[in-house]
Amino acid sequence: MDLIWLVPALPLLGFLTLLVAGPRMGDPKSGWFATGAVAASFAVAVALFVDLQSMPEYERQVTQTLYTWMPSGSFEVSIGFLLDPLSSIMILFITGIGALIHLYSIGYMKGDPKFSKFFLYLNLFLASMLLLVLGDNLLLTFLGWEGVGVCSYLLISFWHTEPANATAGKKAFVTNRIGDAGFMLGTFLVFVTFGSINYADLRPAATGIAAVTATAIALLFFVGAIGKSAQIPLFTWLPDAMAGPTPVSALIHAATMVTAGVYLITRLNPIMAQAGWANDVIAWTGAVTALVAATIAVAQTDIKKVLAYSTVSQLGYMFMAVGTQTYVAGVFHMITHAFFKALLFLGAGAVIYSMAHEQDMRRYGNLRKYLPVTFVTFFVGWLAIAGVPPLSGFWSKDEILAGVFNYGAAGPALWVVGVLVAILTAFYMTRQLIMVFFGTEQWRGVAPVPAGAVLGASGAGAGDTAPEQEAESPTVQLGEGSDEPTAHDDHTGHGDHHLMPSHEPKEAPWTMLAPLVVLAGMAAIAGLMNLPFSDQFKRLEHWLYPMIVFENPLPEGPTLVGLAAVAIAAAVVGIWFAFFVYVKRRLDPARIELPILAEGWKIDSTYAAVVGGPGEATFQGVADADARIVDGAVNAVGRGSLGLGTLLRKLQTGLVRTYALGVAIGTVALLAFIVTRMNL
Amino acid sequence: MGQYLPLITLLVLTGVFGAVSVVVSRVLNPPRPTEAKSSAYESGITDITEPPERFPVRFYLIAMIFIVFDIEIIFFYPFTMVYSELGWYGVIAIVIFSAAVFESFLYLISNGALDWGPARISRRSVIASDPDRTSTTTVRRVGADGRAFALDGEES
Amino acid sequence: MFGLPTQDEPIPFDELPLDDPLLFDEPAGVVIPDIEWSAIAPNLILMLGGILLLTVVSLVRGRTPSWFSAVWTISTAVFAGVTLVPLWQRVQDDGAESVMAGAIGLDGFSLFVTGVMCLSVVLGALLLEGYLRREGLAGPEWYVLLLLSASGGVTMASANDLIVMFIGLEILSVAVYVMAAMHSKRVSSQEAGLKYFVLGAFSSAFLLYGIAMVYGATGTTNLVGIQQFLSETVLTQNGLLLAGFAFMLVGFGFKVGAVPFHNWTPDVYQGAPSPVVAYMASGVKVAGFAGMIRVFVVTFGPTYGADWRPMVYALAMLSLVVGSFGAIVQTDVKRMLAYSSISHGGFILVAVAANSEAGTAAALFYLLVYTFMIAGSFGIVTIMGRTGDGLHALSDYRGLSKARPGLALLFTVFLLAQAGVPFTGGFLAKFYVINSSVSQGQYVLALIAMSAAVVAAFLYLRIVVAMYFDGNTYRGESATLAGPKVRIPAAAGVALGIAVVGTLWLGILPGQMTSVAGDAVAQLVAIGP
Repeated sequence: MDLIWLVPALPLLGFLTLLVAGPRMGDPKSGWFATGAVAASFAVAVALFVDLQSMPEYERQVTQTLYTWMPSGSFEVSIGFLLDPLSSIMILFITGIGALIHLYSIGYMKGDPKFSKFFLYLNLFLASMLLLVLGDNLLLTFLGWEGVGVCSYLLISFWHTEPANATAGKKAFVTNRIGDAGFMLGTFLVFVTFGSINYADLRPAATGIAAVTATAIALLFFVGAIGKSAQIPLFTWLPDAMAGPTPVSALIHAATMVTAGVYLITRLNPIMAQAGWANDVIAWTGAVTALVAATIAVAQTDIKKVLAYSTVSQLGYMFMAVGTQTYVAGVFHMITHAFFKALLFLGAGAVIYSMAHEQDMRRYGNLRKYLPVTFVTFFVGWLAIAGVPPLSGFWSKDEILAGVFNYGAAGPALWVVGVLVAILTAFYMTRQLIMVFFGTEQWRGVAPVPAGAVLGASGAGAGDTAPEQEAESPTVQLGEGSDEPTAHDDHTGHGDHHLMPSHEPKEAPWTMLAPLVVLAGMAAIAGLMNLPFSDQFKRLEHWLYPMIVFENPLPEGPTLVGLAAVAIAAAVVGIWFAFFVYVKRRLDPARIELPILAEGWKIDSTYAAVVGGPGEATFQGVADADARIVDGAVNAVGRGSLGLGTLLRKLQTGLVRTYALGVAIGTVALLAFIVTRMNL
Repeated sequence: MGQYLPLITLLVLTGVFGAVSVVVSRVLNPPRPTEAKSSAYESGITDITEPPERFPVRFYLIAMIFIVFDIEIIFFYPFTMVYSELGWYGVIAIVIFSAAVFESFLYLISNGALDWGPARISRRSVIASDPDRTSTTTVRRVGADGRAFALDGEES
Repeated sequence: MFGLPTQDEPIPFDELPLDDPLLFDEPAGVVIPDIEWSAIAPNLILMLGGILLLTVVSLVRGRTPSWFSAVWTISTAVFAGVTLVPLWQRVQDDGAESVMAGAIGLDGFSLFVTGVMCLSVVLGALLLEGYLRREGLAGPEWYVLLLLSASGGVTMASANDLIVMFIGLEILSVAVYVMAAMHSKRVSSQEAGLKYFVLGAFSSAFLLYGIAMVYGATGTTNLVGIQQFLSETVLTQNGLLLAGFAFMLVGFGFKVGAVPFHNWTPDVYQGAPSPVVAYMASGVKVAGFAGMIRVFVVTFGPTYGADWRPMVYALAMLSLVVGSFGAIVQTDVKRMLAYSSISHGGFILVAVAANSEAGTAAALFYLLVYTFMIAGSFGIVTIMGRTGDGLHALSDYRGLSKARPGLALLFTVFLLAQAGVPFTGGFLAKFYVINSSVSQGQYVLALIAMSAAVVAAFLYLRIVVAMYFDGNTYRGESATLAGPKVRIPAAAGVALGIAVVGTLWLGILPGQMTSVAGDAVAQLVAIGP
């Protein structure tokens, strides 16, 4: 138990070592070193888990305080770690999947000029993520929260020679900062209310607080969670974040970081239990996000964008679960999702790797012939996410749907949304599977898909930088966020990175395939953690039980079976419909893949056009301003929130008399205020 | 309030005087600025060197030395009136004070304040006379770069 | 002796602090104040160090090695810093005191600020050394002025009398006006000096008006006396006093660059020599805030807090907003940092507006962290300006990560610290400020401060992105570092090292310094028996 600190310390050590010696270790030694650090961390996590399991149920809460970080009167914050059922299971899958993805990256990043830097960031990310889940107080969690944000930013813009990637990184960073403000305020409110921000102190005190306070706290933290976990209205950064290398998408933007919001809400369940309607807000936000993202995913043509929107949608599921206080189901789905979504992303990465970094699914087809291992593992992932029993995704999704159904008056309505999303999920995943692995070999065709096609500019935020890129290399760039910077060419071994009709796809190296196989195994069997058949199978529920104050009970007996039947039916309907459209060709896909869906309901472009805050326009405006500085044409900057700045600049005339006038006006204003306070 | 009446009267008078001066000068001398009039020397001759550049004027330094002694005397005078009451404390204090003041004298001398004549010309001004130069082009707004109306062709 | 009124002039108050020996015992003979030189040792050392340096170099003109002045200045500041230790111990053991006939307060607060001032002198001198050599500017005058201004700042922070504080402020300011204009080869430096001087004199006049009004309302300029008077007396007419608050706030607001008295900041920061800006942004601001806290929080806080707090609140809010948004549109790194320093000033004002001991401690901690990170940032600007001190456009930083990766990394650390990223001092500084504000119920202000931090983060990111664009071209421009080669003088390297260590140390192990800042309470104590 004294080893808790090792869990985040090992990746941190990896980070520090790579910082000093990374370039000297080079490729692939630094990658192996980083992988080793994470694997060691995983071993410690396993040991801790076993240790914790041997303890009596109600003592499973171990705090290890390293030192007092901020002693200041009543407000004391220490660097301390809390190991309890929730955090122990979190660190297990974070380090486990993290180690696999590190291994995968050794193959994927081979030959990249910044190879060691990539692993340096990955290790730092894992250290922050582990700090996030292990921190014994809100501030420490916040530090991890910020840390993962920074790493995410660094990794998204890892290939920052591409302006699009850098812009996407900035977008992710700034959008997350909006959420962070909510987190910060929530922390202060907790401190004001409870006099402490340690999780251990919150639980006993939470029953005594006013419902209004609890609601306010819950909503503030939910704002934080929205930013980090890409929920409506702050979800637009996640699809753009696909600009980063694929292992990053798998690790950060599918398996770990984006689930931090779900973790946070679960961690704060004692407060949530008092928070009243804030829970409804969470549940409905999740439901709407799940539905909107699933509809968008239907029309995406970029292999990673489909998975990105799918992630947003599945996160919506998790928020539905925690919003309806079905925490066990939420955590369950978080874990199974981590397995199958990481698997799908890595599979997609293997496909992209084999296809000379082409990401447009319309140029794939029949790949099962060339990439058998990738195909089989991807197939398992597909079954899992589509909700086909007995794979893991079915069990967790079914549990969420059952819990949601049982949630008061709004339950059935939420459930209907959930079932709709389940159908859509099965549909778009089947569509992806068919487009990638079945059908004809599309890249054999002579002409590459014209860049200007209706669906060419796919994805939210389309049009930000796409025209520029398309002008440069119309054969490769379809939409923005391509995973293909020039700096990345030489590592593939395929020579030219343009996908030629004569291209022969080859299976990726074993470092990339081994993680796929392991993850496929996990995605298949992870459902065993929590089977609804009888009490003794509900292992996860029993495990988490001590730290959850109020859990929405699942329906019993026939209702449960009925709901499960509907869930299976939803999966079957979705798969059948996709089969109907894409294999049988009974329906023109264009009638489903509506342009508005491809453009993400125009949400991002609306932000960009209207809000000007987190939207693309501001960032683009500033980026443009950067470019125009040299010409001295800074006047063009005055867009969006820059208006105020421009106004300020006009006041800054450079003339002393204007400044003196400013001082005088300020003085007069202060005196005017004073007059109101005078008693003469 | 009665005791403040003289003050208020004075205030009003000051204001009236200022206002009258401005108005009268406007009435008697309506402003019709021309370029020549608004230039540095009203004669219309534009200056040929950069105005912000330093040019050596020995008198400045002499004036400084004068101020040093001036201040010294201003403080010495009251001291002499009460020195007997202050005793040694006063003597020490005035010595500290004089030391600080003479220190600046020392610095001035060391900087050549008393070196007369064309001993050395530290920096010769480059006469940058341009036929197109007018009083308007001579006005430079340094620090204006980056601002909206930064004039073209200005170097920083 | 300070132009005080004689007894027969009408003073509209019955009660006057008759125990003030300087004021009212004069007819009976001169009372020689008891002067304890050791109590103001740090200040004396700074001032004497400056004067002696001037004397020495005047006597042996041209025969001192080029490093002499810098070494002298740094040793003086370090020596002054060392003498703080026994004084600190004394204050912690025996409590605060009033010394120098009640004109100077010896308390934790003044000692802490003195320490920060010494630090900023050391950093400023280290940066100046290489700078003067590079620019071909001779002169020990820079260092003399640096020491003298620091002495003024220390006087200001420890003054227990408004007049003394004003003198301190003037000593500080006049020296800095000159320093701002001392780059004789840059016209913009002279412009900056002139602007700063004119506006500074303007605002000093306001401060003096304010002091006069407060004197009129309370009958004394001694802070102890004022505090006592205000707590014992209920003013039937508070107009004069409150107007005094407003005017004094203008004076202090100008020195700390609070909006709307901030206008000079961008121009002066841009024009003045970069190492001087490093000192101005750290030392001068520290002194300004120290004076402000001493007068407003400590003296007027307990009795008239409700009257001045809204004003500071408004200044804080405006500074945060203007500082953050103004920075976005800038294209010159020095101007950007100028606006960001306005925004930092807004943060410290938030702590001042809290009007509490926690607020003061937060402000002190912020000032300490701020000194490290701002001196570091301007240190890099100094180096990057290269000969002529003119390459400060954002585009001049493009490609820095390739040319000088270490420098780019350091700058990134300073910028991230300014943005308030955890495990840098900036995070905790902001955290404490917001915490102090929230615990006084200023939720709106805290919210604005946090939003401003978000906006400001974007600005810092812009600089970082500019430095790290390392491809061949970015939007058609060359992404390699333009201009002459970047050289890092050894002394400046040391300064950057100190700054980065300080920034990180205060972020990772802040425990010691926060408790010191917490102990550094400002107390107004009447003269002991």
